[in-house]
Amino acid sequence: MRAKRTALNTVKYLILIILSIVSVFPFFFMIVGMTNNSVAITGGSLHFGSLLADNFKHLFASELDFVGSLKNSAIIAVVTTAVALCLSSLAGYGFEIYKTRRSENIFNFLLLSMMVPFAALMIPLYRMFSKLSGTPFQIFGVNSFYAVIIPTMTTAFLIFFFRQNAKSFPKELVESARLDGLSEFQIFTHIYMPVSKNAYSAAAIITFMTSWNNYLWPLVVLQSPEKRTVPLVLSAMGASYTPDYGMMMCGIVLSTIPTALLFFFMQKNFVQGMLGSVKG
Amino acid sequence: MKKFRFKRLLLAAAAVTATVLLAACSSSKGSSSSSTSKDNKTLTVWCWDETYNTPAVKDAIKQYKKENGKQKVKVVTMAQDDIVQKLNTVLSSGGSKGLPNIVLIEDYRIQSYLKAYPDAFADLSSISKKGNFSSYKSAVNTVDGKTYGVPFDSGVAGLFYRTDLIKQAGYTDADMQNLTWDKYIEIGKQVKAKTGKAMLSLDPSDLGLIRIMMQSAGSWYTKSDGKTVNIQNNTALKQSISLYKQMMDAGIVEKVSGWDAGVAAVQKGQVASAPTGAWYSSTIQGAKDQSGKWKIAQIPRISENSKSVNASSIGGGGWYVIKGVGNVAGAKDFLGKTFASSPALIDQLAKDIGAVGTLKDAKSGANYKAAYPFYSNQKVFEDLLSWSNKVPEVNYGSSTYQIEDVMKDPVQSILKGQNINTVLKNAQAQAESAVQ
Repeated sequence: MRAKRTALNTVKYLILIILSIVSVFPFFFMIVGMTNNSVAITGGSLHFGSLLADNFKHLFASELDFVGSLKNSAIIAVVTTAVALCLSSLAGYGFEIYKTRRSENIFNFLLLSMMVPFAALMIPLYRMFSKLSGTPFQIFGVNSFYAVIIPTMTTAFLIFFFRQNAKSFPKELVESARLDGLSEFQIFTHIYMPVSKNAYSAAAIITFMTSWNNYLWPLVVLQSPEKRTVPLVLSAMGASYTPDYGMMMCGIVLSTIPTALLFFFMQKNFVQGMLGSVKG
Repeated sequence: MKKFRFKRLLLAAAAVTATVLLAACSSSKGSSSSSTSKDNKTLTVWCWDETYNTPAVKDAIKQYKKENGKQKVKVVTMAQDDIVQKLNTVLSSGGSKGLPNIVLIEDYRIQSYLKAYPDAFADLSSISKKGNFSSYKSAVNTVDGKTYGVPFDSGVAGLFYRTDLIKQAGYTDADMQNLTWDKYIEIGKQVKAKTGKAMLSLDPSDLGLIRIMMQSAGSWYTKSDGKTVNIQNNTALKQSISLYKQMMDAGIVEKVSGWDAGVAAVQKGQVASAPTGAWYSSTIQGAKDQSGKWKIAQIPRISENSKSVNASSIGGGGWYVIKGVGNVAGAKDFLGKTFASSPALIDQLAKDIGAVGTLKDAKSGANYKAAYPFYSNQKVFEDLLSWSNKVPEVNYGSSTYQIEDVMKDPVQSILKGQNINTVLKNAQAQAESAVQ
């Protein structure tokens, strides 16, 4: 019996070890790549080289302005995350707490919008934003950060996510708060929000990551080079007959750090949030 | 207590949001006036590759200043796929807002833009004179007799080869001139037998070599109207694919996956030759230890095809002006004084980025007359430019890449031994529905 269990465990761990090697290897290759030149990287070298400082120097000296793009990405990701959390949680909470037949219909319609791929929306969206030029709303038009942020500010997914969370939120709390004389908005800010901290963390990680990695829409809507976000700059670096992979690896590692950090700090909340826990 | 902390956090978040929103707002205000307005004097140029096309535009700007040009010009580097994506989205949304004044477009793609958005591009006939450039370039940028582009780099194909390995196999430089592909394969077998090295590296999913062979016979995936799919009864294509298969079967090919692996094979000295575009030169020169061991010969021809010549092309691009962005006159002035007419600039580009021009007058430039130690003192630019002038004219049509996507699987089936006629018959039908 015991022998059988040990054997089973060995197999289990073997599989886990293999899987973890498979998932860690790209990161390892990326970090080794930071210290090598293009020839070594394309040759598949797994030895640490001595070019780390050079690669970083090239990265910061590159005319593609990597540092500027980090700044742009940070502004866009932080604003998107903050706004998206506020709006989507309000919406999700509202759909659950003030349920009517009509609101249910609207909600279902909203869910349908998840089925439309972004590629199909892109051209009409671009048209809308480009029509803003010449109107008083010009600052929201193409080539502004607003144009990147606004379409991603609320997503059906996030609203759905917060609604699911609000479902497990005890309605008795709302009722007793009403009796205690709190206004509806206060119930949301004083009771629902603190209790749903984990949901907020999970949503924050997801939104931040999506926004940080967003490629297609910023690519299309941002024009001036000084407004480019990190993925756009990395893409421009790679498009060369003789790309400098060492420099790119440094850029990629740097651009991975913010999401990695966010995830590490909020990991515990994230897992609980995804499980829909309401323990504050 | 916990609740209180959370509230403070929220407040902080709100404060950050507000500040950032304000900052974003002010910064976007600041630059929107400088980069989007139509009467702006600064011309914007989009191109890809920071080590190739971008320095080319910078050289052009210097040249333009020497000619006392009045326009200010700014260059923006982007991935080629990104440029394509942006052009597609913006042009199909019915405008041109946000596009640059001048954009670099690959020869294989331009016809589809000119056909789909006929009013988007400015007529450059007045500055881009047909007779001044390699003639195959004008087949690419002309619609209804009007020229829409200024040709830039030549994609003229050459056979880069290692003199030392060829010698070991028992051949001389003279043997490498005016080759046929049959002879090339024969030499390859000797190279393999005597040196153990492959004759060339090929990525089976990249059909560039087949394109080179086809164009050497003046043929393409589509007929000369650029629309009618021409696969099933295309003799040159059939001959090219069977040569491709012969190479694979002869065991002279180092199979690689992806562009980088091909580069690595050359730089590590694993292959004796590389039949490819002139732009490959700077990549090969990355292997400094192989200096003096390389030479470039004309690309081989298809012996069974009487139309096939020892000249072909792969890649290459041209400059196009987008009408709706405004300041067309300024953009024409810039291109007219630089890429369209200046042999001095084209000569400079040979030195700075190793680009072979398509401007015929460039052949008298110092760098075109120079002998290059890396290539065993061959006058490579002079040779490449003279071959460029012999490349057969081909209309690439609007769907080269779509058809090539269709062609990848059929070519694999043929390599595995299926009957070429049946496979191509099916491919014809598939390609026809793909380009509908």
